[in-house]
Parts: sequence; C-alpha cells; structure tokens
Amino acid sequence: MIHEIRVISKSETDPRGQDLLEEIRRTLKIKSIKNIRTAKVYRLEGVTRAQALVFAQKVLVEPIGQQMSIGRSALKGAAKTIEVAYKPGVMNPEAASLIKAGKDIRVNPKAADSSWEYAFFGKLSQDELAEITERLLVNKTVEYVVKTSPKTLLITGTIGDIKTIPIRNLDTGKLMELSKDKLFLNLEEMMILKNYFQKIKRDPTDCEVETIAQTWSEHCVHKTFKAKLVIDGKNKEPLFSRIKKTVKNNPALIVSAFVDNSGVIDFYDGYAICGKAETHNSPSAIEPYGGAMTGSGGVFRDVLGTGQGAKPIISTDIFCFASPNMPPKLLPPGCLPPDYLLRKVVAGVRDYGNRVGIPTNNGSIHFHNDFRAKPTVAVGAFGLIPKNRAQKGKPKKGDLILTLGGRTGRDGIHGATFSSGEMTSQTISVSGSAVQIGNAIEEKRVIDTIIHLRDLGLIVAVTDCGAGGYSSAAGEMGQVVGARVYLEKVPLKYPGLAPWEIFLSESQERMVIATDQKNLKKVLEIAKLYNVEATVIGNFDGSKKLHVSYKNKTVCSLNMDFLHSGLPQRRMVGRSKRVAIGGELPSVPKDLEKIFLRILSHGNVCSKEPIVRLYDHNVQGTNAMHPFGGVDFDAPNDGAIVRPILSKPYGVVVTHGLNPALNNLDPYWGSIWALTEAVSNFVAIGGKIKDAALIDNFIWPFPDEESLAALDSAVDALCFLAKILKMPFISGKDSLSSTYRYPDGRILKIPPVVLISVFGKIKDVAKTVSSDFKKVGSTIVLVGNPDVKNLGASAYFDITNSSSPSIPKVDTKNINKVLESISQAVESGQILSCHDISEGGVATTLAEMAFGGGCGASINIAKITKGRPDFVLFSETAGTFLVEVESVQIAKKAFAGVPHKIIGETQEEEIIEINAGQKTLLKTPIKKLKNAWQKPMKEIFHQ
Amino acid sequence: MTKPKVCILRTDGTNCDEELFYAFEKFGASPKFVHVNELRGKSKRLKEFNILALPGGFTYGDDVASGKILAVELVSFLKNEIEDFVAKYGLVIGICNGFQTLIRTGLLPFTKFGQMDATLAQNESGHFECRWIKVKVQKSKCVFLPQSNEIFDIAVNHGEGRIDAPQNIIKKIENEDLVVLKYVDEKGNPTQKYPQNPNGSVNAIAGICNQTGRILGLMPHPEKFVDATQYPNWRRSVSGNSPGFIIKNMVKFAQSS
Repeated sequence: MIHEIRVISKSETDPRGQDLLEEIRRTLKIKSIKNIRTAKVYRLEGVTRAQALVFAQKVLVEPIGQQMSIGRSALKGAAKTIEVAYKPGVMNPEAASLIKAGKDIRVNPKAADSSWEYAFFGKLSQDELAEITERLLVNKTVEYVVKTSPKTLLITGTIGDIKTIPIRNLDTGKLMELSKDKLFLNLEEMMILKNYFQKIKRDPTDCEVETIAQTWSEHCVHKTFKAKLVIDGKNKEPLFSRIKKTVKNNPALIVSAFVDNSGVIDFYDGYAICGKAETHNSPSAIEPYGGAMTGSGGVFRDVLGTGQGAKPIISTDIFCFASPNMPPKLLPPGCLPPDYLLRKVVAGVRDYGNRVGIPTNNGSIHFHNDFRAKPTVAVGAFGLIPKNRAQKGKPKKGDLILTLGGRTGRDGIHGATFSSGEMTSQTISVSGSAVQIGNAIEEKRVIDTIIHLRDLGLIVAVTDCGAGGYSSAAGEMGQVVGARVYLEKVPLKYPGLAPWEIFLSESQERMVIATDQKNLKKVLEIAKLYNVEATVIGNFDGSKKLHVSYKNKTVCSLNMDFLHSGLPQRRMVGRSKRVAIGGELPSVPKDLEKIFLRILSHGNVCSKEPIVRLYDHNVQGTNAMHPFGGVDFDAPNDGAIVRPILSKPYGVVVTHGLNPALNNLDPYWGSIWALTEAVSNFVAIGGKIKDAALIDNFIWPFPDEESLAALDSAVDALCFLAKILKMPFISGKDSLSSTYRYPDGRILKIPPVVLISVFGKIKDVAKTVSSDFKKVGSTIVLVGNPDVKNLGASAYFDITNSSSPSIPKVDTKNINKVLESISQAVESGQILSCHDISEGGVATTLAEMAFGGGCGASINIAKITKGRPDFVLFSETAGTFLVEVESVQIAKKAFAGVPHKIIGETQEEEIIEINAGQKTLLKTPIKKLKNAWQKPMKEIFHQ
Repeated sequence: MTKPKVCILRTDGTNCDEELFYAFEKFGASPKFVHVNELRGKSKRLKEFNILALPGGFTYGDDVASGKILAVELVSFLKNEIEDFVAKYGLVIGICNGFQTLIRTGLLPFTKFGQMDATLAQNESGHFECRWIKVKVQKSKCVFLPQSNEIFDIAVNHGEGRIDAPQNIIKKIENEDLVVLKYVDEKGNPTQKYPQNPNGSVNAIAGICNQTGRILGLMPHPEKFVDATQYPNWRRSVSGNSPGFIIKNMVKFAQSS
C-alpha cells in the first residue's frame, strides 16, 4: 500500500505558487486567479502508516514553516487542484534520496516518489486550467497529471526477446520501412547491411542492427564531414580533413586533437587543459528542462572521459531561440513556445551545473524567429588534467570493462539516431523515449570517483556512455582488441528491458572504464566510498569482435572491422545558391536616442544578468574574471578566466563567438565574423592567441545541395582565418538536423550556426583586464577597422525592419596586428579597460563600459569616419575594440602602426554624449540606458 | 606551532570543498577531506581533528530540503561523536549547505542535536542567486572572531538561505548575541532590501553561532575570497579586509587553544 504525505507551507503564499501565478499573468494573461499554493506530495510504498508518520516527521516536514497531512488533500477551498508527477519509468532523482533517508532512519520503503500539487484560488474555468496545464505545468513527454493515485510505484516487466531481423529477404521498400523513424540509415547503407549479412550467411539480431545503426549514425560517425565533396562542380577535400589540418597551425601547444572525448592542450606545471562543446538541440526542443540537463551532463562526461579522466572546471552555455514575444500563431505544430523553452532550458542548466558544482561562467543567448521549430542549445565544458594522465592507455587482453554510476533504463533509446534525423510535428510523440531527466548528484559522485581512481593510476582508459550507450563505449574501447559484454550483469533501473535495449540505452551518468584485473578490488572499494555502483560487465578478450551475450545467448557478434570501417565514404554534391535579398536601408533616424534605447533592449544586446545570477558561476572559487563586474557588479565582461589551481596564478581563459543571423545571409563572412568575435573576446580580456585553441560547432540544416555548399563555404572561411591567426582547431562537433518539416511537407530551415569556442592558458591572471571604465578623464580609443557600410542582420536593421544582404566584413589583413597590439598593451598594463565591439555596435560597447565604471563618456564619431552617423554607431564589426588608456600619448604609442582612432574620454557626469563634429547627436543619462538594457530579461525571469 | 587539523566533510553533492581546503591551508591549518562514509565506518574519527568544516554544495541534491538528507544521516549515525566533539574541544563551521545542514541537525542555534529551532527557507525571490553582497560583523559570542564591526564584500550562492523561526526564537538569538553576520546596505545598515539582502532573511541575519560560540553557520562564502583576484572588482581596488579573515581567525584560535 502507498502512503501519501502532503507538505504545505504554513503561510498563505509560497514562492513556487507565486512564480507560477506571475507566469500565468504574464504569458497567458489570465488575471482572475487570486492565489496559487503548492503542496509537495510524497508517496511511500511498503511501510506501515506508523512508519510513514515517523518518516514524515523526521525527514519530510519542518514544523517551523510547514504542515502536513497524510492520505488527504492539504489545501482546502481551492477552485481547482491538480497534481503533476513524472511518468512511471522516468526516474525522479529525488526518489533515491528518499530511499536513502528511509534507510538511515531504519524505515525502509520499497519505493518512494515525489510530485507537486497546485491549488488555484479565485476564478478559473476548465479551459483556462487546461491551458495552464498544457503550456506551463506539464510536459507530456515526461510528466502527467495524476488523476487517480497509483496503486504501486514498483515497475515490473518481463524481459524482451532477442529477435532476428530477416534482413536478407527484405526488398528496398521493406528495408526503408525498417530504417524509418528508428535506424535513420539511407537506402545505400541499408543495402550494405543486407549484403554483409548475405555474405556471412545469417540474419542479424535486433541488437546487431541497432548497434550498427548507432555506430553509423550521423551523430556518431559524421558522414557528411567525412564525405568526398563536389561543390559547384569542383572536387573538394572532406570538411573534416580540412579542419584537422589546422592542427599544424600551432602543433607545439597541442596534447591531443580530435582523438579523445575533448581536445587537450598544454598548461603549466605538468598539467593540461581540455575543452569540448556539444549541442543538445533535439532533446531540448521536446523536453527543454531535461534536454538542457542531460546536455550539460553529457558534456561534463566528455571532459571526465578525456585521457584517464579530467576534472571539469568551467561550463559554458550558448542558446538560440525564437523571440520570446513571437506571436503564437507563428509556432509550428508540435513545437514548444520560445519563452517556455528559454525558461526551462535555463532552469535545466541551473539545476544541473549548480548541483555538480561546475562554474557556469560564460555564455550567450541569441534570438531569431527562425529558431521557432528547434532551438540551439549548446553546452561547453573545460577541464584540468595532469599531463601524464592526458592520454588513454590501450586496453589489453584480459582487462576488465566496468560500468560506474547510474543504472540502465529504457531512457534515451535511439538518442543518437534520433538527433541525426529531421524534426517533424510527430517528433514529440514518436521519440519521447529519447529524453530523460538528469541526476546531477549521481554525476558528481561519478566525477569524484573517477578523479580519485585516476590519481591512483587505476584507470587504463575511460569513456562516457553517451550516444549509443554501452554499444558505443565498449565498441570504441575494444575497437582494436575486441570486447565481450555480459548484459545480464548490467544493473537495471527496473526489469523488463530487452537485451538490445540494455546495450543501446543512453541512460545518463554512466561511465565505462577499462581496468587491470589486479586492481579490481581497489576500484570497487573506492567506488563504494563515494556511494557509486560499480560493476564488471565484461572484458577485453582479444577476439577483435564485439561479442555480447545475455544469459549465455548471443545477442551480438560483429567484427569490429565491419562495425567501424564497413561504412563507405560518402560522395556528396553541393551547389551554392545566392539568394539576393533586396536591400532596404533604414531612413536616417530623427530621434537617435529612441533608436539607441530600442537597440539596448534588443534580445541579442540586452543584459542577460538575471540568467547568469541563476547559475552558480562562482563555485570552486576559481574565478579571476566574473561574468559581471564594475561598480554595481552589473557590467558584462567578454569572457571567463579561472585559476584552476588555487595556489597558482595560472589562468584558463574561455570565450566564444557566433552570429546565426549573419550566417543565414552569408555563410562565409558570417563564419569569419564568428571566429573573429570569439578571438576578439579572448584577446580583449588579456588572452594571447598563440596560447589558445579553437573548438567548432556546426549546427546546420539537413545537408541538401544548398546547405552543403553553405557548410563548405563556412569551413573554408574558418580554415582560412585560423591559418592567418596561426590557431588550431582541436575539437568539434556537427549537428546537421536543423530542419523542420511541416505536416503539409513544407520545410523550415533553421538558421545555420557556427559556434566557435576559444580556450587557452595565461601565465598570470593579474595581467588581464575587465570591461568597466576605471577612471574619469581617461582616453577612449577605437582599435581596429570598423565596416560602417554593411549592417545586414544587425540589431539596428532588425528593429527598423531594414534589410541588406551585405554583412560586416572583418579586416582580415590587419586582424593579427590589431589582436597583437591589444595583447601587448594588456600585458604591459597600459590598458585600463577593454571591451570588444559586437551586437549593438560601438554605442552599446561604450554604454556597457560606462555602466561598469559608474561614470559617463563623451565621444566624437567624426573621428571614426565620415559615414552615416547611425551606421557608424551601430555597425557590428567583429575584431574592433573600445579601449581605455590613461592618455592620448599612451594610445598613440601602444597602437602605432595599427588602425585606431582616438574618439573621446570618460567623464564624471553619468551621461553618454555622442557628437558628430560640432553636432550633438545624443546626450542620455546612463540610468536611462541601463534601464532599457536590463528590462527585457528582468521581465522574463521575474526579477 | 602545530597546525590545527581540519576535517572537511564531504558527501554526495558537496562541491565547495576544494576552495575551503585551500583557504584553511593558506591560513596555516592542515585540512583533510573526509567522506561521511569514513566517519560512519569509523576508519576516520572526529577526535583526530580540531575543526569540523561543512562545505557548501548540494548534498544529496538538496532533495526534500537543502542539507536535510545529510542532517538526517548525521543525526542517525554520528550523534554521539559530534556531540562529544562539540562539547570537548572542537570548532565547527558550516558554510551555505553546511549551514543548512547544521541548522537541520539542530546544532544551530541552540546545540540541540535532533531538534530544529530555526530553519533556512527558500529565498524570498523564489530562486537561486549567485552574487556579491556586503555583510557586517556583529558583536557576538563567536569565540574566534574579533568584535570588529568590519564590513566586507562576500559571495552568496544559494536558493534556500532565508533564516526563519518563531519570533521568540529570533529574539533569543538576537538577545543572546548569537548573530554573527548581517546583510547590510551601502551605508552599512542591516537591510531587508533585495538584492543587498539576497534571501529576505529575518533581521538581515546572514550567520549565527551557538551559545558556546564554537559553532558558526553562515550562508555567504568566506572561503571564496582569500586571494585578491577572487573578488570580481579586484581590478578596481579591494577595500578593507577580505572575508578570508573568518577562516584565518578560526585557524588562529584553534592554534592558540
């Protein structure tokens, strides 16, 4: 029997209810609800009522502010009440803590669960309740409305069979039917499969087909990036080989590139640092909270699974959404509203990163309505590792395969293949099982364990158990020597999984390690110390095969060779198509201040502080540059700097750059912009590009001929500029499924995103600089060459409904000189503050520096160039900077031979004054500007 | 001089342990990471230490309530050992999640193990908050802090930090000089205003000690500002003392006693 315990706050209001009430009023405009109160509902199974009462009193309720009821409703007099719970089978992380606490007080429930009940007071129609439930409370993928209390919390099931797939007899139609919505392989690949099994004269098992499909999925094998290309009739080298060649731009720095779960570069004192960025767009589109959580969890495990285990030290988050104010009628069927996505994705990142204790101290958010069908949710992680543990060992025959951490469930089945497919209005209902809720504490335990094992030298190799689950972990680790896996040994969350599901499940928070037999006892001891479940599930057997069994029955027996090399290189054709967009330039504004205020409120420009403060960006105590600084701690810096070894001054510098709106118009110059922006942020705070490496993420529409040509052009641009900068790419990822298909067959291409992350080392964090003005009366210099003619896709053009196909061109001829001059001037202490110019143009950059300085500034744009004043102020040319120095003389000396203009000075009066020659264009109080800049996100995040 | 031995207590979800370790080491103590399982299994004993430090984090995910599951664990298995440690020789500090745990064991405010007299409830804002604020040291019973009236910048990173208790308890805490730190505004006055008071804590209370003054619990993080460059505005200037002096004084006191 189940005992239900409800806990409510004694006060008439509670923060959870108030937050929901505010959200209902803001987004649904329902004003008749007077109050919302919430009750936490706990269910305990397998205990007596007396035990349940003890449990409640000792663990669940605190009489100081709370009261409880057992077996009946707690909130009386409500107009409507609903309870929302996780669906059975979706693991509620809190359940494990309830069981633990039960054991600790010697009340041992067989099962436990928790959920929330919402009581609405005031007036509310059934339709309104349905709308609230659907839009704000329940995500049907993982949650449901509890209508009648469950009879049991225990999940039972019988083990699924091992099925044989008669692939040798399937015609092309049947082959594609088998592939559709499940394997996501094309006909050519299905034919290779069929031919292979014809050749070895047997039919495959379900597990073998699934294993091959995930190993060959776009997500895992990057078929497009490895394909031979023909672009506009010309043969071109595969994209991946071009990117890999950039390793030669700075080989001395690199410890490992493109071979491990993250890229690794040299640090100081025998340490190395590593970095990786991943996207988690498809899961986040259908379950943003869980998707963002598992995205973070996955990239942390990429770092943890590097070498023999690296410690995650920084987390970054970059999102693209449709505008939160987009009219609901634009939302495609089967998609979630952007404001809901934004809030839930932020909550997921918050709840995961904060709990694991990795500072989330760099990121950005971009808005463009073409993201309405699928957001971009990119998460990056960076780690620290002793250099002598930065390479994986090779498992030898006899070494054991151990799984560490979370148990295996049905969750995440088909994650790798699913994220390689395009999204349709059916995606949510068909692929629901691909999404799961992360358990951050499980991950934290696993991190602590692996780092401990690593330091004792007990790990031969480690890898995460991400896409493809054990099939990819064992398949990759045993690629050379061969692996044997016994699926009945795998600890399960609940019974009833078919063997292939156990092998393919993508349950989170699991790591796989290879360890020497003789160290097993020690490994198990350490895992136990951290409350981590560790189980031997197989060994490396020298067979050069992937052999998997379930209770003596063979489930999978594949040659590693066929699995990893059976897929032929693709040949793909691309054709570039230039769509000339008729330009419509804005008329010269009469009220420049009004325009400026609107730009400051633009989604891509406005302050994201309310979001950043929800993230624990200060955990580990390592920050040497916080996301925000300045007199009121509210002025944004260009990047993150941490001191991962607290007793040393060495810094890790992390920045990024992207601009999907530009890439949409011009993939070549948009990509140049993204890379320039990323390195400009890096240099602006004091990083040196000779000590830094690059990470690429391409988030692209499905590669039809046109999108493939655009991708080719983007890669060319990046390789060209990386060569100029002498910088290597050392890690990267592509996600080529940014396409949405409407029920009627129409296609929506989501804007292509090139996200560039930069990370590097700096010997002394004291030689870095923040963006806030430091003094009154200092000289303001614009360094670099702004393109004041081309403002296509700028915030300015967006708010004035203007358009132009011409986007800002970075001055690639002078870029090295510009960056070098900034680096030198920061190092020699001549720069007081520096801020890179990007979205919102030089006017925005100036304002942000003044926000932090608690002072004003006056500039004369006639010193920059003679162009249209509005264009000069709002041009978004990457690779240009505003710099504060003590005097004109210092400026002239520091930037001799580099394009630069001395444009004004800081002043005591807290006003931004912009002049063009003798004419005053704008004279606005800082406070007014700051309010406009802070307002949008404060509203969305109720702060 | 012997180095005071510090037990940095870890368990699932502890995540401010390394910076706390560093802070103690920097100020001359000898810290050691100890997992709660090691105390439960008696392979390590509290009596080997002079200071018990409970770091910040999300122990057991802060499930049910922050620090609750760990508090239940400590009360269930380590009651005698901790009571003994507190009664005889030890100093205790709980920071953020450590404070939440101490208050839920009942060790704070009145050293009643297993009975809660006050709580740390969800922030009034309804959300987690990571920022820098100012606190002022109060005249209190805390044995290792000088009565300095010092005001300094310090980091807060929490979602459940609002101290709450019946009025008579709050009065008792105030009257018996158990309030060690208060959130203050730019003029140095205790404040209920957000965000200077980041959680809406009653009487702007940020940290309290027990009646013997040997147990300190506080929501802000003194261990996150022991080097100049940890402060967001170190490039502008760092004024006055850094909050690291809380740990520094704790070590000094342990050394001398």
